[in-house]
Amino acid sequence: MSMIDKLKELGVNTDEGLKRFMGNAALYERMMGKLPANVRSQEVMKHFDEKDYQAALESTHTLKGVTGNLSVTPLYQAYSEAVRLLRENEPEKAREVVEAVLPLENEILNCIENDQ
Amino acid sequence: MENKDKTILIVDDMEINRAILAEGFTDTYHIIEAENGKQAMETINAHRDIAAVLLDLIMPEMDGISVLRELNRTGKINHIPVFIITAADNEDTLTEAYELGAVDVISKPFIMNFIKSRITNIIELYGHRNELVEIVNEQIKKLSKINKSMIETLATLIEFRDCESGEHVRRICGLTRILLTSISDTYPEYYMDRVEIEKVVNASILHDVGKIAIPDGILNKPGRLTKEEFEIMKQHTVKGGEMLENIPNKIFDDDTFKYAIDICRHHHERWDGRGYPDGLAGDEITIWAQIVALADVYDALTSPRCYKAAFDHETALNMIYNGECGVFNPKVLEILRKNECNVKNEHDLVL
Repeated sequence: MSMIDKLKELGVNTDEGLKRFMGNAALYERMMGKLPANVRSQEVMKHFDEKDYQAALESTHTLKGVTGNLSVTPLYQAYSEAVRLLRENEPEKAREVVEAVLPLENEILNCIENDQ
Repeated sequence: MENKDKTILIVDDMEINRAILAEGFTDTYHIIEAENGKQAMETINAHRDIAAVLLDLIMPEMDGISVLRELNRTGKINHIPVFIITAADNEDTLTEAYELGAVDVISKPFIMNFIKSRITNIIELYGHRNELVEIVNEQIKKLSKINKSMIETLATLIEFRDCESGEHVRRICGLTRILLTSISDTYPEYYMDRVEIEKVVNASILHDVGKIAIPDGILNKPGRLTKEEFEIMKQHTVKGGEMLENIPNKIFDDDTFKYAIDICRHHHERWDGRGYPDGLAGDEITIWAQIVALADVYDALTSPRCYKAAFDHETALNMIYNGECGVFNPKVLEILRKNECNVKNEHDLVL
């Protein structure tokens, strides 16, 4: 099974994502390959642990954009919700939302990394 | 449509976002990518052919709002359309971006078909607009050239009939520019911006246009004029103003025209009210008419005329300061003192 098919099973809207890359599957996969490093370098949970909610807002905001553009829909939804909650001064609820999606996020990132 | 001669600058710290936008436009545009605002500004300053900027807001080094501010400060925002890349979740920042001149917003996740159409349309619109601005500027240049050559044509007509040197009007222009600029910079009550000063300079060419209406026998009489002849000669001020007022369809720039009418009529008025034709006194005489009056007197003194030889620069200045050519505004004389060297240079230059 190709990486794209596996990601599809994990809820990634690969058809929409591929369309966004003008049908260039190689480029889509290459950019998907950059997602794990992008997500990890944002250190979202660390910001929440340190209660640095401005940094948490900036990193969730960045990940919202990237996951949206790659059509990693479950992560996009979670980070969108986290951004909204952080803006509404509900950092604890935002943290819960991010925490809840971590297992799936790991699964998706592992799937991408195993393919490379 | 092939636009490879046009460049789109994509500014985003996330490579994934840049890659999508680049892929969408790479078949039609030349693409340059920048990771932050600082790189973006370097690119914009180094390239003249940036057709559009796609700009992320939150970036390290220099953020998108700072880039917009810089483009505003330099006026580049008027020629280059800037699109904001945003997750569209912060109204305040977007409002600020629009206020700073951003043309449109690209929302994440991108919908490439829409983005391509919108950006392509706006690039074309800006292209047309920039072309039009250039055409209009060219036309304005041409018009002002025509304007000036018409004024000079009229002035040449007077020179044909007058025994004054053909360079007289050119020197009047130079002297008027020097003295008016200096008095405008020295006394706030006489302030005029540079564009207005140039209009007065052009208008000064016409100061003696009324002499066309003066009979040859008086205009070119080698000796002193009789009282009656002088009365007729004085009429060149009134006639000049009337002639210009009666020119149909205002062929000149409106302001230049108004200055010229005023200068024609009032360049023989004097500060103490003993000039002609209206006997205006003090600042009833406009500052431009006062300045052209002084320039005219200085040039008449230092040039040979059919009825007299030329005085040298120092003698001419002393005659003016001593009130031998009528009373001038003390501030205008002060300006003449300050600019004696410039005035002499200007006079020698065109002699």
